[in-house]
Amino acid sequence: MAGGGGEQGDNPVAINVVPMVDVIFCLCVFFMCSFKFKQLEGKFDSWLPKGKGVGPSPISDILEEIRVAIYWDPKTQTVTRRMRSNKITDDEQLKRLIGEAKADFVRLNKTDTPVIIDAESKVPWNEVVTVINLAKWNAIDKIEFALGAAPGPGQPK
Amino acid sequence: MSRKLQVQEDVSPNLIPMIDIMFLLLLFFMLGADMGQRDLEEVVLPTADKVQEDPNLRGEGETTTVNVHHRHSSADFSCPVNAAGAICREDDHWRLAIRAKDFTTETVRKQLQEEADASLEDQVDREAGKRLSRRKVMIRADRFAPYGLVQRLIEVCGLVGIYKVEVGAAQPPKK
Repeated sequence: MAGGGGEQGDNPVAINVVPMVDVIFCLCVFFMCSFKFKQLEGKFDSWLPKGKGVGPSPISDILEEIRVAIYWDPKTQTVTRRMRSNKITDDEQLKRLIGEAKADFVRLNKTDTPVIIDAESKVPWNEVVTVINLAKWNAIDKIEFALGAAPGPGQPK
Repeated sequence: MSRKLQVQEDVSPNLIPMIDIMFLLLLFFMLGADMGQRDLEEVVLPTADKVQEDPNLRGEGETTTVNVHHRHSSADFSCPVNAAGAICREDDHWRLAIRAKDFTTETVRKQLQEEADASLEDQVDREAGKRLSRRKVMIRADRFAPYGLVQRLIEVCGLVGIYKVEVGAAQPPKK
């Protein structure tokens, strides 16, 4: 595999490097095969309310929330997003609608209005994270997850 | 003739630079190799540009990382939908994993309860009326994981007294 080198006549106790090179080659191949580049990861803090528990919260004023509903269509394997009466077509529209809703509440001196994500259980997780991300874009830190299935598009909440 | 032989002796390769470079390569790969505990399952995280960088990625200290992942293919299990890169909606194909051990939503409660009880806060929380846990739970869910599973996991965290829940996401590649 590897040939010996150096002038062996100069040094009577020359080390044979061939086995060492072979072993290093094997180690290099092993570590190269097991090496992988990691994706940069981060986190969103979503601390649970301490006093509320996990049961349903009383609905005192349904308007004091920004609710995004996400539905899963098993036939087409696609999601549908709705906010208030609007059907969301893209992320930019949802970002704008959340921003407008927040601005409405700020005008009413309600600065800590939460975004409530009301998604069906089959909805892929990345759709929920997208809504969290858009809420963060509008500087909304209070994000709540609705428990239980979202009502159908034609049903009352 | 003797001069020609002398030239042949001089062309023997010098292995020292090659060995030096191989040692450096070996060092690089050894240091880059992940020999840690398998806290992090191989999942494709959803991307979010507003995600905060997490210095405690391995979940060291008082953090439990719960991975939500699709079952790995094996001799007795395969999912053609997931293998094709599509969205699998079979509930029993998805697993929760803590330190490379798989759990269901029913069995994970016992594990989280033990971890929550091991690091309770010193004082009773006024709002909750009980001692809550200092422990954080980091949820690393695959982008195609059903939301219902993550929802039940968050619910279990609340039931066992863990209120510090973090959600993992990947930073999109910089342009």
